Amino acid sequence: MSAVTPLQNGDTVLLPERIADLTGLGEFGVAGELLAAFLGAFVIANLMMAMTGVAGPWAKRKITAAFTDRIAVNHLGPAGIFIIVADAVRLLSKENIIPENADRPAYDLAPIVIAGSALLGFAVIPMGSGIHLADPEVGLVFVFAVAGIASIGLVMAGYASGNKYSMLGGLRAVAQNVAYEIPLVVTGMSVVLFAGSLQMGTIVEAQAQPLVDLGVVSIPSWYALVNPFAFVLFLIANFAEVGRNPFDMPEAPAELIAGYQTEYSSVYFVLVYLGEFLHIFLGGAIIATIFLGGPAGPGPAELGIVWFLLKIWAVFLLTQWLRSAIPRVRIDQLIEIGWKGLLVLSFANLALTAAIVGVIA
Amino acid sequence: MSTGTESMPEDATDRVDELADLLGSRALTREDHVNAPGFVVNPGDVQDVLFDLREKAGYDHCSCVTAQQYEDRFETIYHLKKYADPTDEVSIVVPTPLDEPVSQSAEPVYRTADWHEREAYDLVGIEYEDHPDLRRILLPETWQGHPLSASYDQEKPQVVTLSEHANPLEPDHEDPESDTMFLNVGPHHPATHGVLHVKTVLDGETIAHIEPDIGYLHRCEEQMCQQGTYRHQIMPYPDRWDYVSSGLLNEWAYARAIEDLAEIEVPEYAQIIRTLGSELCRIASHMLALGTFALDVYGEFTATFMYTFRDRELVQDILEDLTGQRMMFNYFRVGGVAWDLPEPREEFFEQTRDFLDELPAKVAEYNDLITTNEIFQTRCIDTGVLEPDVAKDYGCTGPVARGSGVDYDLRRDDPYGYYENLEWDVVTRDGCDNYARVLCRMEEVEESAKIVEQCLDVLEGWPEDDREVQANVPRTLKPDADAEVYRAVEAAKGELGIYIRSDGTDKPGRFKIRSPCFSNLQALEEMSQGEYIPDLIASLGSLDIVLGEVDR
Amino acid sequence: MIGLLKSMATTMKHALSGSTFTVEYPETAPDVSPRFRGVHKFSQERCIWCRQCENVCPNDTIQIVMDDQRNGEQYNLHIGQCIYCRLCEEVCPVDAILLTQNFEFTADTKHEFVYNKEQLKAVPWYKDIDPLESREPDRGAWIGEGEGEVDYQ
Repeated sequence: MSAVTPLQNGDTVLLPERIADLTGLGEFGVAGELLAAFLGAFVIANLMMAMTGVAGPWAKRKITAAFTDRIAVNHLGPAGIFIIVADAVRLLSKENIIPENADRPAYDLAPIVIAGSALLGFAVIPMGSGIHLADPEVGLVFVFAVAGIASIGLVMAGYASGNKYSMLGGLRAVAQNVAYEIPLVVTGMSVVLFAGSLQMGTIVEAQAQPLVDLGVVSIPSWYALVNPFAFVLFLIANFAEVGRNPFDMPEAPAELIAGYQTEYSSVYFVLVYLGEFLHIFLGGAIIATIFLGGPAGPGPAELGIVWFLLKIWAVFLLTQWLRSAIPRVRIDQLIEIGWKGLLVLSFANLALTAAIVGVIA
Repeated sequence: MSTGTESMPEDATDRVDELADLLGSRALTREDHVNAPGFVVNPGDVQDVLFDLREKAGYDHCSCVTAQQYEDRFETIYHLKKYADPTDEVSIVVPTPLDEPVSQSAEPVYRTADWHEREAYDLVGIEYEDHPDLRRILLPETWQGHPLSASYDQEKPQVVTLSEHANPLEPDHEDPESDTMFLNVGPHHPATHGVLHVKTVLDGETIAHIEPDIGYLHRCEEQMCQQGTYRHQIMPYPDRWDYVSSGLLNEWAYARAIEDLAEIEVPEYAQIIRTLGSELCRIASHMLALGTFALDVYGEFTATFMYTFRDRELVQDILEDLTGQRMMFNYFRVGGVAWDLPEPREEFFEQTRDFLDELPAKVAEYNDLITTNEIFQTRCIDTGVLEPDVAKDYGCTGPVARGSGVDYDLRRDDPYGYYENLEWDVVTRDGCDNYARVLCRMEEVEESAKIVEQCLDVLEGWPEDDREVQANVPRTLKPDADAEVYRAVEAAKGELGIYIRSDGTDKPGRFKIRSPCFSNLQALEEMSQGEYIPDLIASLGSLDIVLGEVDR
Repeated sequence: MIGLLKSMATTMKHALSGSTFTVEYPETAPDVSPRFRGVHKFSQERCIWCRQCENVCPNDTIQIVMDDQRNGEQYNLHIGQCIYCRLCEEVCPVDAILLTQNFEFTADTKHEFVYNKEQLKAVPWYKDIDPLESREPDRGAWIGEGEGEVDYQ
């Protein structure tokens, strides 16, 4: 692929190509393209990590405080936002304590796998305003696949820590991910039936058609509106996938101390923590892309990234809202809901969607 | 008082005669206590006698086991009661010789005696035959000697290292074939409500066996009370047993015991203030129980926890105005209370009434938040099941027993204070599970609010010239030598009893605390067997233990 | 499902109301009840060295040293060990020791919490509340009326 190849998907220009165009790197052949791709990845990774950095130490405190009638951080900077700096210094300057009977390479790799797998998923997400790293034809499958790698990271962390609580947390994580990955993917497939493509760009474009035109306002055919049932199923499965209430079993501090991350400290802890938040955001990004029209929203197309981030934050807010109000289910109930409830419902949804699509076609 | 259904025997002496007939020659002599008739029996007859008393005379509640050492003998006292009528009490006194302190265990008759006798062995040094597991319970395994026995040497090193203590020939119990996993829940664990250590054996995530290991917060409270004077120095300490909120309820336990022992009449006005303060404490304590239970079931970001703490804070503000402290009140005095209501009284009444007026809306909010939540229900219904018979066998009291349908509340059944003159109900639930216990506490909050409201009404109308807050009590109290009393009150967690033996000085000869949490916690094993780890945590939360009171 | 939604609605109601229950300590000093028991204040002028406070103290927090003429020399109080039961104030016949509302005290080591009589004299009133005044209506039952102005420096 080079900057001069005919554009796929209408007018979408991928980020590396833009960078290549802007900097003239495209003229240096493959090496230049590679560098441009790296730069693009660098931009997106940093954008996401910065957002996670804000969400972790600051927004979460603020949101939780609002739900519990408290004030939360407000001393450092406007609305206490510079607490992020303080937190970063605090966490990074701590001693990295490694348990004596930790299984070394696995113990060290797990945080990287957890954080990396989530970052990888953002590669194929169209974020609007031209921020789109790659758009392979199997985009949706790719994003599910890399998000699934996190399970390996969780098991590695759980097993390699040499702690029984970590072990239980890791096992819970994998049982939960296996149980909920299938409904998640199957529900995602119902969207593919509508869009007729696995390519993220195409899925977003398909949602731009108006569903109902009321003259003044036209409601776009976001799949959340077209098929709310699938949307709800996907949301629920997603909470289980990212391990948040009511499905935060892998950590469950009251039961397992902190699950798989019990033994992690300092930099490793930061990575695990980042990874968790990245997963929430990746979940939000997938939901936004395949159900909420991606970067679509009123106003000029340049505002796409704003709308996209807003949608991600809405999903994040929802997870925090649930945390304040909903108890966690028990591990056996969780598995039961997954295999007996969601799996069946997601297949029903798939069949239903197939029938509808068939009738329309 | 709501009901008066219990039938008291026509004549207390008849009852005692019947008991004497039942025991026959096994009763060596009589040794009556201030609260109950006492019979001295041989160490070898304990099981026999207790079994008869339980089966034939209906004493189904082994409230407390007290052990102590006299100059010439050791003594174990079993304080027995009836769940149906706690005023019907009997004490079984079992003396054992100094050189061979061995007595039969009561564990086969009353399951609750297990821990009580372990404590007696640990602190006093009496050994119990037939006991299933006679080990130290409060002190570390490596402790040397028995601190409440007369021969205990304070100067000697008290703890030796484990390597010095352990038997090197003892086989290692690790079984490579086994499918189970041993997990230490605690002593540093987010959900143990203090420093509790639960030794857990897991089969997968199912609990195969648990054993609570207590004693991390043992502060020699009993001995501290034995070194304080009755008149002043004991009263600050009850606040520190169940330290979370129920200080006044604890103080009342001591006040009731010493007032009965020294025959002190408490002015009615002081009794009303005591009732008012105690019920406020109960509200605060139940709020905390609710909040921490939510924390265990919801996770650490639950809003419920903060809301309950907000309400508890309001109660604490009222209590601070009344007593001068937020948790460690030291407000009761022998024969009354320290202070009258704070001036201006109208402000205090208004503040308290404001809180009571807002309470129903808040309880409704808790119902919206917690009890009607379907996930909460699936988590709590039919988990941590404690059958009524089992609850009685373990000596469970308070909301734990009432959640299992055991209709037992000392405020009604063994009235003290001003409760008799007020309109309120004892809350019971038949669910026997975690959900029932939570609901039970929430409803008790409403009942307590009723009591507080009525107390306020009475206090507002009380004549100004008759506000006697304290009886005339001599500055030095010296009850008769060898007078013994066991008195209990309904504290936030259940029956909090105090046993005092006077030795004729101004300090108690033996001061024993019967902690409701201690007995309730013992039932945890029964409740969580075969369930999952989350259920264990929820059951522990629903027991609402405070380790300060368990370990004393 | 309705229950779940009700729970969520309840917390959202709190979030949207914007009201907070917590206060920003130390910017907002908490209201302390007039009866609150904080750090002690001692008046050597009033003290008659009767040692009743030393005797009644449940955990030996107060230490008094006198010479052979029974003149007071030292009055030491370990405010870190004190359990703030107020019994010393209660038994004092001359109001020589009082518990102020002051609950803010810090030190680097616990030994610095051993206050001698000069330090006890220097303990400030909390927000200028003189507990003697606020306790006045109730004190009659306990302590004889003090005479005249009380000077605590």
